[in-house]
Amino acid sequence: MGLLTILKKMKQKEREMRLLMLGLDNAGKTTILKKFNGEDVSTISPTLGFNIKTLEHKGFKLNIWDVGGQKSLRSYWRNYFESTDGLVWVVDSADRLRLEDCRKELSALLLEERLAGATLLVFANKQDLPGALSKEAIREALVLDEIKSHHWCIIGCSAVSGENLLAGVDWLLDDIAARIFTAD
Amino acid sequence: MDAASEVEQENGFAGKRGAAKIQERLQKRHQARTDDSDRRKETKENHSVAEEKLEYFSSTFNTERASIEQLLSSCSGAERGVVSQRLEEATAKTAQLKKFLNDSVLFLTQYELRQAQAALQKLQTSLAETREEALPKKKFAFRARSKAADKVASSASDSPDGATAAGTVKVDGAAASEQCGFSNIDSEFLTKTSEEIQNRDVLLTHLTNCKVRLFGSPSTLHLKHIDSCEILCGPVSRSVFVDHCRNSTLAFPCQQLRTHNTTDTQVYLHVTSRAIIEDCHGVSFAPFSWSYPNLEEDFNVSGLDRGRNNWSQVDDFNWLAAGTPSPNWSVITEITFCGNALKASMTI
Ligand SMILES: Nc1nc2c(ncn2[C@@H]2O[C@H](COP(=O)(O)OP(=O)(O)OP(=O)(O)O)[C@@H](O)[C@H]2O)c(=O)[nH]1
Ligand SMILES: [Mg+2]
Repeated sequence: MGLLTILKKMKQKEREMRLLMLGLDNAGKTTILKKFNGEDVSTISPTLGFNIKTLEHKGFKLNIWDVGGQKSLRSYWRNYFESTDGLVWVVDSADRLRLEDCRKELSALLLEERLAGATLLVFANKQDLPGALSKEAIREALVLDEIKSHHWCIIGCSAVSGENLLAGVDWLLDDIAARIFTAD
Repeated sequence: MDAASEVEQENGFAGKRGAAKIQERLQKRHQARTDDSDRRKETKENHSVAEEKLEYFSSTFNTERASIEQLLSSCSGAERGVVSQRLEEATAKTAQLKKFLNDSVLFLTQYELRQAQAALQKLQTSLAETREEALPKKKFAFRARSKAADKVASSASDSPDGATAAGTVKVDGAAASEQCGFSNIDSEFLTKTSEEIQNRDVLLTHLTNCKVRLFGSPSTLHLKHIDSCEILCGPVSRSVFVDHCRNSTLAFPCQQLRTHNTTDTQVYLHVTSRAIIEDCHGVSFAPFSWSYPNLEEDFNVSGLDRGRNNWSQVDDFNWLAAGTPSPNWSVITEITFCGNALKASMTI
């Protein structure tokens, strides 16, 4: 193998990113993933286990892991932490009754050593619902302003209309790329 | 037996035995004709019962409506204490009228139902307007206020802050209109119309002993802390989320159903993807069987696939052992629901 090929291979590897999507059950993780990939979202079932999707975006190869959020699955989340570049935390903005649960789960994640280097994107999903809280209200409820350990951003979106999904992913990629690929 | 073979037989059995046979047959035909005309009479009677019911409905509905309108128009210019009393009465009467309409749904045609719903809607609007005009400050405290509080409020009626008060009310109104549903109610019959819930997120919490009918297609439905209720809802275009529900009957079509901490509950379900349970026991499932006049239309609005119902494929997240069925849920075998539920809604 010539030097050039090896360099190319390394380069390819470098342009790969691992994204982990987590959040309470019913938040819309799988719907976001499928919508982003242009698939039908009407047949999605609650996730028993996880989905993984590999797709190309902006010249990057994204490995996106979408893990089920049911209570009984949350203890398995940690199996997916290793070498995560970006954490996507999905919130059902209309589910006011579980916002506190949502805050607790997120703050526990942010203490995880293996996620320490990851950039955090919070999707305030389901903005199409009349009862949805604004992204500012979600930001307050999840006390995001207290986060000092991670780069973070919150974006209001709707997985069913597709609104703002791209904006969110683009921000995430830019932040990760700036952190990783220009480091040297 | 068809006519041709009958003729053949007649020819074949000439003579005495044949004559007796013919006699017998004539007798039978006569009987059949009499039965028939009895049946027709009966249908006619049933028909006129329905007509009578309808007549009774229309006249009662219109009388009540007129009396509420009268109450409302008598508010203008009256003194505050009187107004608040009249408004209270109008509110109660309107609620009664709404219930009367709900109870009559079964024998009204779609047209009559829509007319009545529209009339009711109009009443509710003018009730709200009258209230806002006459008692701007008290708009949202109105229902819960006691008689004693009424007196205090009416003696303070000439406070000069009407304008600012109306301003605050508007903000409250916006907040209230976002949150759609019912909470903290015991032993009532509760309904929402299609206009109230279409494409919205509907939340029902802390309901005990209630019968709830949601006629329409919400985007999503959340049920939390439900005890001994019967909740029937039109097609939910996305997910239904149930938490802490016991001893109840639920019915709805939806895309996903997620059921948590629920016991002894029957679910009459149309689900186009999957239903799951977690931390549940004694939950049983059967196909969705409720019906109401606009169901078809609401199905179209929801975008749900009518031909795809996975009601019996339930995933138990606490029972992922392959091969052995979960002991936490079962299939309902008897198919008596539809009639029962509707009867129940008539007699409440
Ligand atoms: N109205 C609305 N509904 C949404 C939106 N995103 C997702 N949903 C609905 O919410 C429900 C849950 O979506 P899923 O994608 O299955 O949720 P999830 O986060 O993957 O849930 P788990 O797999 O249990 O962790 C589905 O019925 C979706 O159609 C949205 O932006 N707006
Ligand atoms: Mg999922």
